[in-house]
Amino acid sequence: MNILALILFLLLGGVVAWAAERVHPSAPRWVGLLTFVAAGLYVAQAWAGGYAYANQYIEWIPRFGIHVILSMDGLSLMLVALTLFLGIVAVVSSWTETERSHGFFQFNILWVMAGVVGVFTAFDLFLFFFFWEVMLIPMYFLIAIWGHEARAYAAMKFFLFTQISGLLMLFAILALVYFHYAATGLLTFNYHDLLGAAISRDVSFALMLGFFVAFVVKLPGVPFHTWLPDAHTQAPTAGSVILAGILLKTGAYGLIRFVVPLFPEASADFAWWAMFLGALSILYGGYMAYSQSDFKRLVAYSSVAHMGFVLLGVFAFHEVDGVLVTNELGMQGAIVTMIAHGFSTAALFMMAGALQERLHTREMSRMGGLWVRAPRMGVVTMFFVIASVGMPGLGNFIGEFLVLVGAFKASIPLTVAGALGVVVAAVYGLVLLQRAFQGTPNPDIPAMRDFGWREMSVMVLMMAALVWIGVYPQPLLDLAGPVIELLWEAP
Amino acid sequence: MDLLWLVPTLPLAGFFILFVAGLLVSEQRQLKWLSGLVGAGSIGLAAAVALLVGMDYYAAGAEPTAYFLWTWMDVGGFAPSIRLYLDGLSLVMMGVITGVGFLIHLYATGYMWDEEGYSRFFAYMNLFVFAMLMLVLGDNLLVLFLGWEGVGLCSYLLIGFFHKDPENGYAARKAFVVTRVGDTAMLLGLFLLFREVGTIEVQAAMAGARDLWPDGSTTVTIIALLLLGGAVGKSAQVPLQTWLPDAMAGPTPVSALIHAATMVTAGVYLIARTHDLFLLSPTAQFAVAAVGLVTLFISSFTALTQRDIKRVLAYSTMSQIGYMFLALGVGAWSAAIFHLMTHAFFKALLFLASGSVILALHHEQDMFRMGGLWKKLPIPFASMLIGSVALAALPFTSGFYSKDAIVLASFEYGSFFWAGAAIAAFMTALYTTRMMVITFFGEMRTEPHDHSHINMWGPLLVLAALAIGGGWYGLEAVASVLPDGGVGEQDHTSTVAILTMAAPILGIVIGYLIFHGRQLKLDRLVESQAGDATRRFWFGGWGFDALYDRVFVGPFVWFARLNKRDGVDFVYTAAAGITRGFHHVIALTQSGHLRWYAANMAIGLLAAFAIVLVLLA
Repeated sequence: MNILALILFLLLGGVVAWAAERVHPSAPRWVGLLTFVAAGLYVAQAWAGGYAYANQYIEWIPRFGIHVILSMDGLSLMLVALTLFLGIVAVVSSWTETERSHGFFQFNILWVMAGVVGVFTAFDLFLFFFFWEVMLIPMYFLIAIWGHEARAYAAMKFFLFTQISGLLMLFAILALVYFHYAATGLLTFNYHDLLGAAISRDVSFALMLGFFVAFVVKLPGVPFHTWLPDAHTQAPTAGSVILAGILLKTGAYGLIRFVVPLFPEASADFAWWAMFLGALSILYGGYMAYSQSDFKRLVAYSSVAHMGFVLLGVFAFHEVDGVLVTNELGMQGAIVTMIAHGFSTAALFMMAGALQERLHTREMSRMGGLWVRAPRMGVVTMFFVIASVGMPGLGNFIGEFLVLVGAFKASIPLTVAGALGVVVAAVYGLVLLQRAFQGTPNPDIPAMRDFGWREMSVMVLMMAALVWIGVYPQPLLDLAGPVIELLWEAP
Repeated sequence: MDLLWLVPTLPLAGFFILFVAGLLVSEQRQLKWLSGLVGAGSIGLAAAVALLVGMDYYAAGAEPTAYFLWTWMDVGGFAPSIRLYLDGLSLVMMGVITGVGFLIHLYATGYMWDEEGYSRFFAYMNLFVFAMLMLVLGDNLLVLFLGWEGVGLCSYLLIGFFHKDPENGYAARKAFVVTRVGDTAMLLGLFLLFREVGTIEVQAAMAGARDLWPDGSTTVTIIALLLLGGAVGKSAQVPLQTWLPDAMAGPTPVSALIHAATMVTAGVYLIARTHDLFLLSPTAQFAVAAVGLVTLFISSFTALTQRDIKRVLAYSTMSQIGYMFLALGVGAWSAAIFHLMTHAFFKALLFLASGSVILALHHEQDMFRMGGLWKKLPIPFASMLIGSVALAALPFTSGFYSKDAIVLASFEYGSFFWAGAAIAAFMTALYTTRMMVITFFGEMRTEPHDHSHINMWGPLLVLAALAIGGGWYGLEAVASVLPDGGVGEQDHTSTVAILTMAAPILGIVIGYLIFHGRQLKLDRLVESQAGDATRRFWFGGWGFDALYDRVFVGPFVWFARLNKRDGVDFVYTAAAGITRGFHHVIALTQSGHLRWYAANMAIGLLAAFAIVLVLLA
């Protein structure tokens, strides 16, 4: 598979979409949709046709050991596939949302996604950082231009949080490269060369923290989560879908791809604290979700809780013969959680956007009884709420269950805390459903349009995906398996 | 035999058809009779297939068999498979679920006819039956857990089925959340079992447990107690019983199917299925018996004070499941399952018959607005009477055989347990008599309008027959599965046995004297201050709800409101605020006055020189 071509195709699609507005106001969204569909089919065909590891190497700045190294292993593949699918969802969910600059809107969506694909496939740390920034700026525009009432504040907050943590990561990358150079005389940003770099334990711990904070801000984990409710709430629907569905996963991906493999010992030393932050995120995020009266804010906080499972699973180092090793069940659980949460949360944000478009409010106290007006939206919301509550048979359960089984080997108290989060999830999930869709129909609400075929077709696909992951997750596990095994043997 | 997979698949298919149809066709254009046909038909077919499977099972020599479907997942030594397991225990459960389930579905086609969301109702009901079947057929604790959560979900959906009333929504959420507390305990039990034994396939794990642990080991006690936590939540036993009375907000067929015949007995099934663990831990087994006895006691006194006919039945269900727990705890495993089965017959009958009464009175559930109905509603009356005598365990009814086995077995465990069980049997008869007298005798307070068809009274007749005769032949099927080897013949001549038999009769007589003939007047006792306080204490379910509201719900909601703006964010906004403060201070220096700048420059220069001089010196 030609990864570079894929990324360039998305970037090009963005430019074309921008230009297409001159032809017709609705042309950009068609360009956006077709670009994602074409890219998605390209990846799907590679996946279906017995996927083999793809690798690309192009010289870039040899003076500093910087090259374009793009690879796609199983983990990258499934995340890229999710990215492109959610690209379609983002375009569809904002089909009628934008009132101005349709072209630039699609441009930003496509460029964020191009950056994300780069993040998931870059195996050169400089290139990784480059893509990390590429995905940030269009996202800032999406929030700042097409966002809701407090968009400027939210966009700035999002930018500052990610920028400052990104800076921390840049320092850590440069320091890692320097220490590696000092030890071996080889100046390189190549991920594979930097694996197992001989660095003293203290330095390695500090560098690990640099990466860790950058990724946990993105994840986000408590206490670095407070940018997220604002950004999600204020972003346009496509922005929220992308943020929750994909951008958060870049943080999780970073933990799995960089933090643990590059600094295995330091990660193991820090594991308990990371798991603690995970359990804290699960409980605090869930609790904060319950406290909200804004549909989108509630879903946003629920993401904090779900991503807490990722932290809990990735860092569930457990002892085998006196050595702390990474936890296969926990890792796999974290990965399944990433994918499943991508679908369930994207769907819920799409629902929030659809409600706002129809009712011009996100306040749940001004909804109520919507089931009667729009039964299809009710059923769809119910399905995804049930999924995110962790119902067995649907994807999220598999992820969270595997995380907890794995974490149980590492720390029983933290697993108990995580498991209690499942009770909290039931509380906020069902409250959401109740306040918006059940209860006495609010007489102030005008007749509203139910979901049509455009929304339903996307929703049905996501439902099917969650059922598939819930009933037979093996393809995902097999895809991620070799990646995890490498980690498992690394320390 | 190979048809076993079809039994859960048929209800699932029914759910799927109704679900998809619900998405495609708007409510107004749905054909009700077609929804009813699919909804009840799928369960009817499942029951027929279950019958075939059962006949095959016996024809093949009644050997336990497992049917592998597929490996759910395989990761890091954790490879639960989706496999169905058929032995005497799951066969009995499957029979009850599909058989009684079908009758209730059939009844519901009539009961729900005038309600909104007819096809949605059957979609949920079918999904429930599927989940319940997975629960009892799963050969793996994770598959069991799938069913376990699935039935919890359907229970939630169906309690809140009339979703326009927020009260129902609250009751539904309460049921889901309270049971989930128990589920979490059960999940932790699974984790611990998996860590210790390395598998959660039921048969392998039980064998592993027997090899691994000596009697009374702490680990096995912890596992068993955690599983008990799950069972207590699902089966509405103390201390997680508070959701069941509120669950009566659901339509009556739901109460009959989920909150009487099947789901609430899942805890009993779980303990019976994992009995090896409990056998290894006398502590855990004692806890089971104690939970059963306490629940039995509390709920039968509570039932005596209720006004709502469905709440009487709900508390009665709790107390009957209390009997089952008591049976499990005292080692009368087969009697527990036997009582589970007979209870499913007579309690489903009682609920459906009360549903007919409620429907005829236009959704009146307060017994004190009923009365004198026996002439006007002969079929519901007769059904309810039969259900009541079985519930009170009068001789020759199904309830008698199963309950007698339990009470007598508890005598062997300890006379204290027997005394409790016998007193509760007396109380059962007392509150049942009260319910019957107030509902059907005395003056008529509301005029009934009965227009039920055969699809409603047909199931009543079948269930009435089962409530009487369902216990005559004992329960051979589970003898090979459970350690006590089946329900033995009871000796009915000892003093204890005669006392046990006399308790319900005494209850009925006294109940009749108090509530009907008024020969026994307790007015002074009831109206005294202490009597009134006791009555209110019992009426409110012994203060559990009030306690939980104060200790858990209140603080949870209070702090959530307080922290709605997220305290963590204050750290960041404070940092931003301080930065902005500095900005304002420094901005003040930009006044635009040349003199001010010159003076500052001079002061700065002087200061710089001063520092240099000081440093040089």
